[in-house]
Amino acid sequence: MRTALCVLILALASYAAAASTVVIVEGLGGNDHYTAQFAEQVEAIAAAARTLAPQPELALFRGDDATRQAIVDFFAALGDRRATTDQLIVYLIGHGSYDDHEYKFNLAGPDLTDADILAALDRVPAASQIIVNTSSASGAAADRWQSDSRVVITATRSGVERHATRFGAHFAAALSDPAADTDKNEIVTALEAFDFADRRVRDFFETSGQLATEHAKIIGDRAARVSLARLGAARPASDDARLTELIAKRDAISARIEALRSERDTMSADEYQSRLLGVMLELAQAEEAIELREAELLPDD
Amino acid sequence: MTERVLLTLVAVAVVWDVQARPIHYGAVADAALAECDRLSWRGQNREARPCYRDILASSAPGAIRAEAAWALKDLHTANRLFQAANQNNPGDADILSRWGDLYADTHQDAEAMDIYREALAADANHAFAMLGAARVLVGGFDDAANRYLEPLLTNATLPEGAQVGAWLLVARIALENHDVDEARHNIAKAEALIARNDWPPLEAYALRAALDLIDDAGDGRWTEMSLDYNPTYGNIYAIPAHFYVISRRYRDAIDLYQKAVDIEPGLAAAHEELGVNLLRDNQIDRARRHLEIAHDEDPFSPVAVNTLRLLDSLSDFPLIRDPEVPEPGGAGLPIVLRLHREEAATIAPYAIDLTRRSIEEFSTRYRYELEEPVIIEMYPDHEDFAVRTAGMPGIGILGATFGYVVAMDSPSARSTDEFQWGTTLWHEMAHVFTLEASDHRVPRWFSEGVSVFEEWQSGPTPGVRIPMPVYSAIRDGKLLPVATLDQGFIRPSYPEQVIVSYMQAGLICQYIGQHYGTDKLAALLSKFADGLNTVDAIASVLEVTTPQLDRDFDEFLAAEHGPVLAILDEWHRAHAELSKLAAEENWTAVVEAAERLIEMHPRYVEPDSAYLPLAQAHEALGARQGAIDTLELFWRRGGYDPRSLKQLAAWLDEAGRADDAIRVLHTVTFVQPLDEELHVTLGRLLLERGEGAGALREFEIALAQNPHDKASAHYRVAEAHRAIGNIDESRSHLLMALDVAPGYRPAQRLLLELMRGASNDTINH
Repeated sequence: MRTALCVLILALASYAAAASTVVIVEGLGGNDHYTAQFAEQVEAIAAAARTLAPQPELALFRGDDATRQAIVDFFAALGDRRATTDQLIVYLIGHGSYDDHEYKFNLAGPDLTDADILAALDRVPAASQIIVNTSSASGAAADRWQSDSRVVITATRSGVERHATRFGAHFAAALSDPAADTDKNEIVTALEAFDFADRRVRDFFETSGQLATEHAKIIGDRAARVSLARLGAARPASDDARLTELIAKRDAISARIEALRSERDTMSADEYQSRLLGVMLELAQAEEAIELREAELLPDD
Repeated sequence: MTERVLLTLVAVAVVWDVQARPIHYGAVADAALAECDRLSWRGQNREARPCYRDILASSAPGAIRAEAAWALKDLHTANRLFQAANQNNPGDADILSRWGDLYADTHQDAEAMDIYREALAADANHAFAMLGAARVLVGGFDDAANRYLEPLLTNATLPEGAQVGAWLLVARIALENHDVDEARHNIAKAEALIARNDWPPLEAYALRAALDLIDDAGDGRWTEMSLDYNPTYGNIYAIPAHFYVISRRYRDAIDLYQKAVDIEPGLAAAHEELGVNLLRDNQIDRARRHLEIAHDEDPFSPVAVNTLRLLDSLSDFPLIRDPEVPEPGGAGLPIVLRLHREEAATIAPYAIDLTRRSIEEFSTRYRYELEEPVIIEMYPDHEDFAVRTAGMPGIGILGATFGYVVAMDSPSARSTDEFQWGTTLWHEMAHVFTLEASDHRVPRWFSEGVSVFEEWQSGPTPGVRIPMPVYSAIRDGKLLPVATLDQGFIRPSYPEQVIVSYMQAGLICQYIGQHYGTDKLAALLSKFADGLNTVDAIASVLEVTTPQLDRDFDEFLAAEHGPVLAILDEWHRAHAELSKLAAEENWTAVVEAAERLIEMHPRYVEPDSAYLPLAQAHEALGARQGAIDTLELFWRRGGYDPRSLKQLAAWLDEAGRADDAIRVLHTVTFVQPLDEELHVTLGRLLLERGEGAGALREFEIALAQNPHDKASAHYRVAEAHRAIGNIDESRSHLLMALDVAPGYRPAQRLLLELMRGASNDTINH
């Protein structure tokens, strides 16, 4: 058997240290255009996964190695070694089909069925799971895959939407586009990526005047808490007391901002603006002080 | 309510109720019914109503009782009785024919046609069934009507009532074609038969009155004679009013329709037309009142229902006035926009600018100052625009001008392949001038011609753009003489004739502009305002006969477009070959094929033009400069494909030609304004060039599109405000950005910078 190991990229030195696993499956393109498109999306998603800290275990199934059996075997093995505190992120990039009974993700050889995928996800006892299926007809299986610990994102809202989708390209682009990071914390969450891609798809159909052939769907309420990519460089860890103090001060101001936002409805717009200005200036000054201290701590060249 | 008032209302109701059934000219032969009809057609409605009631309650044949129910406006009963009569008398063409008339009278043309066919299957020579079928087909602009009309107009042995109907129908068609002599002849034919049979001459009088109005001879004696015959015959005004509508004299039509409903308050069609035309004059509330009456009187009419539904949706279209408050002593009229609330903030700035530019341009060229504010309406749903324009969905036009009111598709209503909203607005604004400067007397061809000519010459994406099927029509000799060019718009005789007529009219105006000078276009407009027709106006202004102008125009076409006309077939073959090569990504071959196509027809810049694959091929072969040059040429010749132009702008910016990139992106705003990325890019370029006000406009438009990344959108607006010194506004938008994203460092930095700047200013003071 050509094991999945040959396509497994070990991002960390050992499985034991991995906090999360990212699995990316690239389906059959069917022609040069889609093959190139899917490859590009897979590479963008893999690159995004590598920006996360701590880095996840990254498993890529592409080309001849993207077979039903290899994928089923991989999840079985993963399920045996994963603890319930872990996170699992699965991407299915390709074409799908639905015959009014069964959804299939198109691979070389036997396709992955919706039941295969559900069984694979259920085998992994991760506390947090997310599956992003960008294929045509992907909405057919969305409801079946949902669970309390799982976020399901599909490019279509049902199996009836059978045209090749645009959603995947925008979702992949979201993972490196600052415009997707709406709260500007330099992390793109699953919810931010979904919103970004969904909006781009809707804009496309609106501006082109074409009938919308896909409507993306998200199920599960944890998407805002799942990080899919980091846009900026991670700040280096430091045991500097001054820096620790400044960060604590910044975090305290952030907490006051959150409190102020929650009280917004209890005050006039002018009062809110006035108080917001005060705390935002404090936060800006605190961030500035942190940046200065970090610069001071940089080793001299 | 007192008894006296109640009686008055009942009396009015009686007057309303017995007028609507059309005069049938002997299609029904029944002595009792004839007596009721005589009373009704004489306007003796108080007497007619009980007369019809008596028949309805009698043991008269079902089909006759159906007629009585119809006259009493009890249409369901009438239908039921006809149905029963048909079942009891299968294959009776007389019954079927009248039943079909009932369906036609209630706007159910397809069902009416089926019944007429059934009647004709039973009796192939049934004259009234042929007449009914012809009426339906004429209403649908279907040439098959001729098959039914021809025997009625040529066979004197057929029932004379059907002949009358046919002559009146062809008289109407002649009037619509402004063929006054033909109309006069046809009416006379009908009148002779009417007189011989002692039928009501009312419809003939109404057509005579229309004839006089078209001739600008007032309504003469015909109205008086009609009112003498029947003082409540509203069609004596409503029928002529229709001819005002089709010649776009909407206010004149409104006056006549008002008179029609004044004397015949139950004339649903006149209320409906009054409502529709009041909308064209922006009299919304008054329009609604009449449309509601129309709907109450004739609940079968889709026009009233559609239009009332549209009016209900107008709450989503807030009015925008610019300026909101007129400047004291300020010159110029405000511009009023009615835009959908989701698009208003994006479209309004461009629409106002473009409208002002057009007014400035056309006021000078056509020597006419507008006297009222222009009202521009844009509908995101094309069918709303269609209903606004004609009361019915399904029309193919992009915009319509009713005088000072312009209605059109909004940029989101159609794909950019088929619609450039800026060009359409420019086209419609030219209509505002040609209509108003001529007091709505301009012939259709000239108004469309000037609009097309202005699109090409001075529009937001200028360039002579002629669709390929039009070239084929020119080559095949399908153009009309200028004297009859209006027919190409009103009653086209082949599928592409309307668009061919648009282009021909534009080319004639271009020819006049080039050969005689554009001041002659203004002079022609002035002659039309004086009431001259095409032949006389051309003779007066250009001092040539229209046949001579046609010959001169042919020479102009040969000189300007002859080379293209000579290679049309070859061009089509080469175009197909290019598409194949591009699909195969055979870029070297694409370059060769595309260059050849462009050489054959350099002006062809539609989205399937050769410029785009040529640019793509250059880029694929690593020749960026070639790609830029190609797209730049495409743009300068009027190309508007937004994706290609955005690519060109990006390349120009990279090449250090930001000013050109800005100009290219401005073109895109007239095609695809609802594109957030476009405004962000344009705003950034403008900000970098130090044009803070322009940048602010673009960033505000981007923000108005409810962007996904609101923090960045507010931040950009804040940057632009700061660039033009609006510190308070800048701070306000920074706070909005930070409210969404508190940790947004660029916004934090700018906020600190602003606050420190303000603090320094305070210290310095």
